[in-house]
Amino acid sequence: MFDVFIYISYFILTIDLILYTYSFFREKKANVFFVCYLAFSFLMQFSMETFYHLRMNNLFLVNIFIIGQMILLGLFYNSIFSLKSQKKFVLISILIALLILAIQFIMDWNQFLRFNLFEITLTSLLVVIFALIHFYNMLTESKEYYFISIAVVFYLLTSTVLFLIGNLTHNLSKEFKFLSWELNSILLIMYYGFILYDWKKNLSRSSAN
Amino acid sequence: MSVHALPEKEIVAIILYISMFLMILAVVLIIFFYFSRQKIIQKELEKVDLILRYQKEQLHAIIFTQEEERKRIAQDLHDDISSKLNIVSLNSHLLTAPNLTETETAEITENIINLTTKALENSRKIAHNLLPPVFEKFGLSAGIEELCEEFESSKSVKTHYKNEIDFDEKDIDRHLHVFRILQELMSNSIRHGKATEIWISFANINGVNICDYKDNGVGFDSSNAENQKGLGMKNIDSRISFLEGTIEIASEINNGIVVNFTF
Repeated sequence: MFDVFIYISYFILTIDLILYTYSFFREKKANVFFVCYLAFSFLMQFSMETFYHLRMNNLFLVNIFIIGQMILLGLFYNSIFSLKSQKKFVLISILIALLILAIQFIMDWNQFLRFNLFEITLTSLLVVIFALIHFYNMLTESKEYYFISIAVVFYLLTSTVLFLIGNLTHNLSKEFKFLSWELNSILLIMYYGFILYDWKKNLSRSSAN
Repeated sequence: MSVHALPEKEIVAIILYISMFLMILAVVLIIFFYFSRQKIIQKELEKVDLILRYQKEQLHAIIFTQEEERKRIAQDLHDDISSKLNIVSLNSHLLTAPNLTETETAEITENIINLTTKALENSRKIAHNLLPPVFEKFGLSAGIEELCEEFESSKSVKTHYKNEIDFDEKDIDRHLHVFRILQELMSNSIRHGKATEIWISFANINGVNICDYKDNGVGFDSSNAENQKGLGMKNIDSRISFLEGTIEIASEINNGIVVNFTF
């Protein structure tokens, strides 16, 4: 049951990646950072899956994924903002966050091998803030990357909790151990689904014309 | 670890509730955004609508005044020129009649000469009313002076005109608007205000040209918006907006009217 959801989400992610890459190379339409983000997610998901099957600790991959997600989504929002001050805010906040995380990892290398609560909170909230700034911009402008932003706000706000309690779930019995990950996989399906829907709404129509 | 102290079910409930809470928070945020956006767009549309309606009203006013002006010119031409030329043509036909005595011929020719002189004079007057030659040749100040003289001689009103600005001839298109505004104000003062004295002055304050206009007529209640919606006022308003100036109209019943505008 649990596996089905995870594989569905991988499947949708693969479709997303193929469609966005197609739009990017064929139509030169899709945002380069977003395509990079999808490719990065794809890569990370599959390496995590492989590590899991090899019975190796894949938590350092989770950490890399979370940081990379912040950088790529930050750059994505940075590229679609039009106000200079907003662009600057995104870049500076990413840099400061990276600096703080670097210091934390230097001080305690072990943080890399478990769920780093501080890192999860910081990166997710930053991306949610970027997405909310984009929502604010869209109040008077036309809807651009509307469903992607909905997906980002929805998924990152909710999944952050699941990552935060990641260290706790280790100690639970088999019965409940995977509950949070089951929930996460359902959220992932919605997340990638929204991204797919955004492609259908904005990019597929242009290819038909 | 203290985690072991908590029953497992409790932890699961906490997990579920917190994720539920944030899920709802995210949905509420998105819904909030959605409705705010709709509201803002609706307000924007209303604003555009208002501007469009105002523009339409102005367009109506322009077309209406154009028609009025045409009617007036047609009437002037018909009453003052066509009728006279008709009689001239009749008289000329009379001249061709056989067996005319010399006195009759002289009478008819005198008639013709008189009528053509009058027709000429009238046509000059009509042309003058449309665009005063003095204004065209000597500029705004001379045009206003002549306007004042005309009003004094024909409408028994005393005018006081004072000018401190040296008008640039290149701006004659703008000055025509000023001239028309004053013309409209003066005829309003006479027609509606029954004024007997009118003051007009031009001054340049801090690089802005200001015109002060005042009369001693019956005035109107300027706080009543109904009084500011006449066609003449709309006309003045559009001219002021052409000049990118501002206008202030103040009036009280039995206290005349004071108008200040910049151009």
